[in-house]
Amino acid sequence: MHWLRRLFRKEHSEKQLDAELRFHMERQIADFIAKGMPPQEARRRVRLDFGGLEPIKQATRESRRGHLLETLFQDLRYASRMLRKNLGFTIAAAITLALGIGANTAIFSIVNASILRPLPYKDSARIVQISAHTAMFPKFSLGISWLNLDQIRAQASSLELTSAYSETDKTLTGSGEPTLLSVASVTDGFFEELGVTSQIGRLLIPDDAKAGQNFVAVISDSLWQTRFAADPNVPGKTLVLDKQPYTIIGVAAPRFTFPSSEQAWIPFSPSAADRQNAKYFMLQTIGKLRVGEKPEKLNAQLDSIAQQFMKDHPEVGVYRFSSEPLLSSSVSDTRDAFLMLLAAATFVLLIACANLASLLLARGSGRQREMALRAALGASRGRLLRQGLVESCLLALIGGVLGIVLAAQGVELFRAIAPPDTSRLSEISVDSTLLWFSVLTSLIAGVLFGIVPARRASRMDPNEALKEGTGSNLGAARSGRQSRLGNALVTLEVALAFILVVGSVLMTLTLSRLLHQNPGFRTDHLLSFDLPQPAGVPSEKGKDYVKQQSNHLREIVEKVRTIPGVVEVTTSDHGVLKGMMMQQGGLIVDGAIPAPSKESRNANARYVYPDYFHVMGIPMLRGREFSDRDNGDTDSKVVVNAAMAQEYWGTLDVVGRRLSASTDDKGKPTWSEVIGVVADAREVALRDEPSPTYFLSALQGTVGSLHLLVRTQTDPDALGTTISRQIWAAYPDQPVTHLMTMSRNISESLGDERLRSVLLTVFAGIGFALALVGVYGVVSYSVAKRVQEIGIRMALGAAPRDVLRLVIGQGFLPVVLGVVIGAVAAAALTRLVASQLYGVKASDPPTFLGAAALVLVVALIACCIPARRAMRVDPMVALRYE
Amino acid sequence: MAQEKSEFLKGTLDMLILKVVALGPIHGYAISQRIQQISKDFFQVPQGSLYPALHRLEDRGWLSADWRESETGRDAKFYTLTRKGRRQLETELVYWERLSDAVAMILRTAE
Repeated sequence: MHWLRRLFRKEHSEKQLDAELRFHMERQIADFIAKGMPPQEARRRVRLDFGGLEPIKQATRESRRGHLLETLFQDLRYASRMLRKNLGFTIAAAITLALGIGANTAIFSIVNASILRPLPYKDSARIVQISAHTAMFPKFSLGISWLNLDQIRAQASSLELTSAYSETDKTLTGSGEPTLLSVASVTDGFFEELGVTSQIGRLLIPDDAKAGQNFVAVISDSLWQTRFAADPNVPGKTLVLDKQPYTIIGVAAPRFTFPSSEQAWIPFSPSAADRQNAKYFMLQTIGKLRVGEKPEKLNAQLDSIAQQFMKDHPEVGVYRFSSEPLLSSSVSDTRDAFLMLLAAATFVLLIACANLASLLLARGSGRQREMALRAALGASRGRLLRQGLVESCLLALIGGVLGIVLAAQGVELFRAIAPPDTSRLSEISVDSTLLWFSVLTSLIAGVLFGIVPARRASRMDPNEALKEGTGSNLGAARSGRQSRLGNALVTLEVALAFILVVGSVLMTLTLSRLLHQNPGFRTDHLLSFDLPQPAGVPSEKGKDYVKQQSNHLREIVEKVRTIPGVVEVTTSDHGVLKGMMMQQGGLIVDGAIPAPSKESRNANARYVYPDYFHVMGIPMLRGREFSDRDNGDTDSKVVVNAAMAQEYWGTLDVVGRRLSASTDDKGKPTWSEVIGVVADAREVALRDEPSPTYFLSALQGTVGSLHLLVRTQTDPDALGTTISRQIWAAYPDQPVTHLMTMSRNISESLGDERLRSVLLTVFAGIGFALALVGVYGVVSYSVAKRVQEIGIRMALGAAPRDVLRLVIGQGFLPVVLGVVIGAVAAAALTRLVASQLYGVKASDPPTFLGAAALVLVVALIACCIPARRAMRVDPMVALRYE
Repeated sequence: MAQEKSEFLKGTLDMLILKVVALGPIHGYAISQRIQQISKDFFQVPQGSLYPALHRLEDRGWLSADWRESETGRDAKFYTLTRKGRRQLETELVYWERLSDAVAMILRTAE
């Protein structure tokens, strides 16, 4: 424990060492004198012998074991003193690092939480989603039938467990406001496969699906907390869903929810007919691969099941299955966007690192003399190297800690601005893994960027370095090498910043083009809301079902129409600009021209209330639109849009032609006559080109949920609460959801685009600012280094203008190179995000030119500031310098 | 040349110091004098090697040190061999004998 004691009694041991060496010296001198040497000569001999006390002391100190720890403290103290002394540099470097690490950690947390981290289910990596694909709906992944489920369970031996579910929205009534609840009907094995347990009561068992005892439900933890005040005696209580009482049998484990944000799970009890229906595409199916089984084997097994199924059930036509890991099937739509953001954040980190490297380089050479002095005083090479590393690591850690703070803020910001339907949003947080990730990143950055200047400093000859500064050739050569490295870093930073700027401009243009995209209908003074599962409609589809339903529909519409401020009201069966569309199988178009391509074509269907087109402001091109007379008592009518008329008949004059959207019980087409043609409108999504669509009268069909569209006279925002209160007054059990103005609807439907645009712009801003600091720093540094040279030039007759040209010319060249490299790289990279763009090409020339001009002009200004300083150099002062 | 000499010494210096200290408590200057005298001026231990070696040996617990009055009346740091140091010295001596025997044998056979 010698060394430990010595660590704390350092001063004491220093004194002892000094005394010991001095004793030696003096004894030697005394001995020489005793041998007859003159005292002065003796002293000189001894001092020469010793060759300086400091190096001996240093070597002695280093021979002790506690030395490493002891000097580490010293180095840390020294480093923090140096960092405090150069506060400007420290702040610049720490902020640079913090921004880079912060942006990267934040995005990495988000990416990790949403697309990398395994889903929170048991063995989730082995769970695959199985879908069916038919020739009729080639674009869709459909659910499978009960027949398929049985076959897969029996024949797909690579699966250990297979279960299925179907999501529905049900109206919860009872205590409190009626709300819409996400409910999943689940088959047996569902909870087992996901590895869920119950915290209270029990989960579903196979017997629960038996007719007569199937009205039982497992509720989620959050429903238990909010609706039942976490009552431990909840099993046995009743949950009224769509007026049907269900007995609660248990509460699922906290935080469990599947497939999306389900609040209750009920047994799946199909009717006998559904069980045998080969075209029942309703079962969302998840299978769990056996340990060690490959997905390829499963796919082969699924293929052979599908082959057999097509033979046994020719009515399904061309049929195949696909399987996809659960994780990728649940995040496929956000993956590309997230990867792009991750790339952008990595660019920011790279820029930050390059910036830090040039800052440290510049400072490292500024401190060469200090290092040389320390070397001359006996500091060993390793010690100097370590000293430099300790300093840069300390700096990196400061940056890292700040970065973590920034990352936490960034994640909060993301959660605030991300569209609420972003997958796994609630799981996003900065976790401990990422904490380590950022600490490690910063340490690596510290070591990397500390080691180059530190090595350089430790390798140099103290003699040369101390002599330098008077412009020796050696110094010039070294600073030449240094400025080449500095220039390379500037080029890199500018290139990366340029890519970020281009990316952010493209995303922002996309957002702006979408916001200004004419949707084909009037969006002002328009309010919309959903009435899911309209109350008052009989749940059994009897003979007079259509009539009862349309009476109810009329009642609701009239009720809303009489509210003061409401001008007109209409309905659609699914929302406008919600990205939802419906395609019915078996569309037959009488007299259709052949499809231009081999791909099977289909059209979207929409059930609308009379005056829909008038209320929406969609122009009629031919014929008339639905009126109140197009109801269950008259023949079925249809309105098509221009795209549909052109696609199927090649003309707009199609009034009087007919199509069949469905077949009757005997499989015969039920024809509807075309009564009108309307202009194309973007009712599905602003991004999507209008696709062929036909409209049926809501009074002539069966409608599940209702989407009301209200044209108002005054500010639509103000009317919202009045409307929902009126509806609740008339129908106490009717939930009203998604109540919002069309402009807000548009803005929400562009949530992803906005998010990308905002985040990329933030990254581009940070990256750009950092790159500018880099340019400024390198040019300033080279000016400071060359003050003397500039002085000589001016003394020899160079005009300030020449000096300006010299400095800017040299400082600007790497910027230009950076822009060129950046442009080439951006052209290649933006092609990867082309699918996320709208109304602007990935290689949009104005964007590239504009970004280049922006970067060049601002970088020029950054060069000008130090250049002006150079211009004002007084030759006399410069030559006297040093 | 001087550089090479001290390098050569490095392996043996520790052993020589232990051997000298084994004779009784002694301070650094006397150690260097004693080594020089006994080797008839063949070994001149530079201070830059002596003190790091002494501190290293002390650090390993082979030497203990205390301050006591020297022959001139001034306080000096005296080193004493510890029991652990004595064992170390014995090991090193055995090793050294085997090493020198081996070297001598090779030199003789190679003649």
